[in-house]
Amino acid sequence: MIRHSIRHIVRKEFTDVLRDGRFRWCSVLVGALLLVSLGHGWVQAREAQREHAAAQATARDHWESQGEKNPHSAAHYGIYAFKPRLALSFVDEGVDPYTGTSVWLEAHRQNDFLLRPAQDATSAQRVGALTAAQVLQHLVPLLIILLTFGALAGERERGTLRQLLATGVGRRDLALGKALGIAGALGLLLVPAAAVGAAALVVGSPGPAASPVARAAVLAVVYLVYFAAFVALSLAVSAWARSTRTALVILLGVWVVNGLVAPRVAVDLSKWMHPTPSALEFAQTVEREMATGTEDIIPPDRDALAERLMAQYGVERVEDLPINDVGAYLQESEEFGNRIFDRNYGALWDTFERQGVVHELVAVAAPLLAVRALSMGLAGTDVEQHRHFASAAETYRRDLMRRMNGDLTENSRSGDFSYQAGAELWESTPPLRYDAPTLGWVLGNRFLSLVVLGGWLAGTILIAAARVRRAEVA
Amino acid sequence: MQTAESGAGQPPLLEARGLSKRYGATQALDSLDLAIEPGEVYCLLGPNGAGKTTTINLFLGFVPPSGGQALVSGMDVSTHDRETKRRLAYIPEQVMLYRNLSGLENLEYFAALGGKGSLGRERLADILVEAGLERDAVDRRVSEYSKGMRQKVGIAIAMAKEADALLLDEPTSGLDPKASNEFSALIERLRNDGVAVLMATHDLFRAKETGTRVGIMRYGSLVTELGTDEIGHADLERVYLEHMHD
Repeated sequence: MIRHSIRHIVRKEFTDVLRDGRFRWCSVLVGALLLVSLGHGWVQAREAQREHAAAQATARDHWESQGEKNPHSAAHYGIYAFKPRLALSFVDEGVDPYTGTSVWLEAHRQNDFLLRPAQDATSAQRVGALTAAQVLQHLVPLLIILLTFGALAGERERGTLRQLLATGVGRRDLALGKALGIAGALGLLLVPAAAVGAAALVVGSPGPAASPVARAAVLAVVYLVYFAAFVALSLAVSAWARSTRTALVILLGVWVVNGLVAPRVAVDLSKWMHPTPSALEFAQTVEREMATGTEDIIPPDRDALAERLMAQYGVERVEDLPINDVGAYLQESEEFGNRIFDRNYGALWDTFERQGVVHELVAVAAPLLAVRALSMGLAGTDVEQHRHFASAAETYRRDLMRRMNGDLTENSRSGDFSYQAGAELWESTPPLRYDAPTLGWVLGNRFLSLVVLGGWLAGTILIAAARVRRAEVA
Repeated sequence: MQTAESGAGQPPLLEARGLSKRYGATQALDSLDLAIEPGEVYCLLGPNGAGKTTTINLFLGFVPPSGGQALVSGMDVSTHDRETKRRLAYIPEQVMLYRNLSGLENLEYFAALGGKGSLGRERLADILVEAGLERDAVDRRVSEYSKGMRQKVGIAIAMAKEADALLLDEPTSGLDPKASNEFSALIERLRNDGVAVLMATHDLFRAKETGTRVGIMRYGSLVTELGTDEIGHADLERVYLEHMHD
């Protein structure tokens, strides 16, 4: 039960903050930005999901109505796969604008993703695009700093701290009451935003997700922990600093490091520790290996395959084979290509993940990085979930190619270039069914960020408790 | 619980035993001994830096002593922070309040923290008026108050707490003569109610008017102690100046 004195401190802080014109203006501004970014993100995500669904249906229709043709031609005709926008992607669009949301699935190639809004954005859009996640990660902590920097330093500077402590109120109660009072004032800003977000999720979720409500609840907890850590840190600095000016300068420094410096350092450090090839270098490497193979991955030998098949079927000539050796060769080529893709894309994805771990470790110095990783993870827009979809799409592509090559192999003969399959084959190919990862999968991936963020909260509370206990009265 | 027995069997409400405070090389307070009984008003006189405010800070537990003890009702302030503060009220030289709250809201807040949350708004408004604030000012925001009005809210805070002992640090500094007289009358009332008062002041006249005893401090030491009924205004001034010019 909250102690009597804490209740009074909470009420007074709440009233004091609400009557402060600076808070009113700042909260109106931040609140408006938050609501607008939530609304804009939701409309955009819903629109994107609608367009993707329509495009996916069109792509499927094109696939099924492509007419009669050789299955290998159909494999080259290919089909598009669209990454679904998950339910919470309107809160945090994560890496989607950079990684793209659709991929063309065709024979012989594992293509890069297309539709990257960041590529098409004007410079003004790049600066002006503000998501709800950015408001929560950058502007709310700034508001917390502005509300909290004077919590104890200001009381000391004004002389009210002496009078307060002379009443017999405990320092810990005072700090806790102030923290809760400020939290209450922030609640006036965040609760409506959370309600709007929840309504958007319930009324018209932009897209599917495994357990979207649970994801939203965990996302809310993550942000609350982040804000609580900022409140505790601001109280600690306010208790330690000799003046409100010093407290404000230190806290603004922390904000700049957290929001601007650390993310840049994390990017540079992770690239330095785990370098990735440029897009051109990567494409050239894949192309070269596809042409020549590697030490371990040898390109298929068509003559050797023909020999094997003739031995297997007990015939002397390729023309006597009961199957089409070209189809078998195409499938072997696919499998060769798959190994090259697995080797190169696997290494690239693994490097991205190692870079992600560096980001999560730098979060020890800047909690924003932990929150960002968790936010993107829970919104389903992080690199890992992009990889999850890319793997599903690639698995689908390989299955599609196997079906096309299998049909060519089984239903035509070597040297028969007139064979054509029809709608029956295209329709028998199931559409891509994608199940987004579960909440447990996401949290397992982001365990390090959870630990770091929890550490930030525990650490800042301990520091605040120590600083408040030792805070000088005058 | 540490106790010190007075003549009547009860410990003095305020007691300093060899109380010392050193800041680096500076001896701010040197082995102060004093005891203040219920109904006594003890005035500490002395120039700036004599150790008056340090004495009050030590009784409030705002700074730890370098030696000796500050006791409230026999309890050591260092080890019984909350219990001793519950028995104390404090009025600083400049009462500082929350500008966004009214005088009444400020009083409600400080009274609640001092354990008097059960006092209703009516009673608190009456206390503000008893402390000398105009009735129509109690609901105005403190940002509109003069220094004298803030000081009256400070007095009301102390009155509402109904503390056993009152610590005053230059409480009449900056008050007009009328307000100062009202303040003296208030101290007289509290004294009659059995409250022990320790007042640090530069104001010799006020010390003679309201005090029952006067201690003159210099360089952190209590150099002499007088009963105010033993001397006149002129004598007090003469004794004070003698000690200041040694």
